[in-house]
Amino acid sequence: MTAIPILRLGNVLLAAVHVDLDDSVAERFQEDLLGRIEKTGAHGLLIDISGLDVVDTYVARVLADTGKMARLMGARTVLVGMRPEVAATLVRMGFGVEGIETALDADEGLAILTGASAR
Amino acid sequence: MTVAVVAREELPIRSEEDLVRVRRLARALAQRGGFDAFASAALMTAASEMARNTWQHGGGGLAAIEEVRDGRRAGVRMTFADRGPGIPDLERVLRGGYSTASSLGLGMSGTRRLVDEFAIDTRPGEGTTIVVTKWTRR
Amino acid sequence: MRIAALRPLAERHMDAVVDSFYELLLGHPDTRAFFPDEVTVGRVKRLQRSYFLGLFAGRCDLAYAQDRLRVGATHERIGMPPKWYIGAFRKYLSLLLERIVAEIPDRVEAMAAFDSLHKLVAFDTSLAIDAYIAANLDSLGRQQAAIRELSTPVIRVHDRVLLLPLVGAIDSHRAQQVMETVLVRVIEDKARALILDIAGVPVVDTRVADHLLKTTAAVRLVGADTILTGVSAQVARTIIQLGVDISSMVTRARLSEGIEHALKLIGREIRPIGDKP
Repeated sequence: MTAIPILRLGNVLLAAVHVDLDDSVAERFQEDLLGRIEKTGAHGLLIDISGLDVVDTYVARVLADTGKMARLMGARTVLVGMRPEVAATLVRMGFGVEGIETALDADEGLAILTGASAR
Repeated sequence: MTVAVVAREELPIRSEEDLVRVRRLARALAQRGGFDAFASAALMTAASEMARNTWQHGGGGLAAIEEVRDGRRAGVRMTFADRGPGIPDLERVLRGGYSTASSLGLGMSGTRRLVDEFAIDTRPGEGTTIVVTKWTRR
Repeated sequence: MRIAALRPLAERHMDAVVDSFYELLLGHPDTRAFFPDEVTVGRVKRLQRSYFLGLFAGRCDLAYAQDRLRVGATHERIGMPPKWYIGAFRKYLSLLLERIVAEIPDRVEAMAAFDSLHKLVAFDTSLAIDAYIAANLDSLGRQQAAIRELSTPVIRVHDRVLLLPLVGAIDSHRAQQVMETVLVRVIEDKARALILDIAGVPVVDTRVADHLLKTTAAVRLVGADTILTGVSAQVARTIIQLGVDISSMVTRARLSEGIEHALKLIGREIRPIGDKP
């Protein structure tokens, strides 16, 4: 099974999703991320989803939940690079966006997580 | 208006990987039908939600994806059929008020908002068939 | 009576029928304008002859129908109104009726021949009208697309700050268009903030409020913030009375305040000249 690579940059964990996410890959991704936070004590988590042209409600929920779980573990999550058509689709379906922090791209997300950008 | 079927493909939904296959097929047909990025994402997401419903709730089944035409417009019609337990509380599911672990939740009500036509036939103990159609914009 | 049996008759009279047909068209100022010179007249007469003989081919397949649809679409494109098209068919029928009556002495047979011809001409007319309608809807669709584009004028106020002044009624079709346009522009311009000014929207009901919320949410998902400005007292009252929860939205009364807030988000501000920072 394809695993999504997770990189570490100082206090921040970075992951870019490019594969077509099926449910088990998404769940494994969540497990891996939380495991890495536990091991490294990272304070920030940056997930780049610019490679995804479909995010259905299941995957969206896994991503949103991951952010909430990470927060419980003391890490702030920023979701970056969501494509316009993916955002429009999720919102049209009635998916709530509360509690999800976002940024335009990885640069900006990293700036938020490293405190270079006040938000 | 009569709807003509230009091409038809069937995919069994027997495993989780089949969800990705259904999505890819929907993507290919959306491209062939000249859908823009937004309509295409809506179609693929609908395909994904419905395939998941067939897989998780219906215990697997069959997806038929068709390229259709109604004279002026091109479209994609997707049929998902399973022989699962059926959906007992259909009205609530369609309202989106369902919140079970099986994530029927937003999937069904959300899909309805993404497509142009949505029809569902569900019978307790016999199964569920859902037909959705999305047309190119005019 | 099979239409193909009329073909010899048609061939004999083709030139005369086509000539009197064009006499009529060229005699009327409205239709005369479509035939600017002799070369054009010669060309369309040739086309008309083959069209005329085509009627008697006794073949009514898909290629035939497509050919007729093409003819209809062409007439729509050059702006020839359907009344002339229908009138032309009628002229054809009356020219042919004269000749059929003259050449087929048996009244019943002549009637049957004319009836077959009439059936075919009616079929042709309906195809042509279909083509007219389809072509018309096409141009209508293009116009609507142009209007939609004009109705979503996203303006770049500053580096990474966009403004969309919404004017006029918002139905769900337009709302979707607005959302999509805005999202694409936010990505293209790497915008940090979008100012949505609704001072020009006359009525804000639950649906419109819902659209505004959805647009705000979608803009959030791609990583930018929306600032709502131009909320009139009337609109504010409606929103609250309708029970719409807009607590997730950043609002400012005036556009200028919205711009100031947006600038703050990108770390800038407007200051009087000469002020020490």
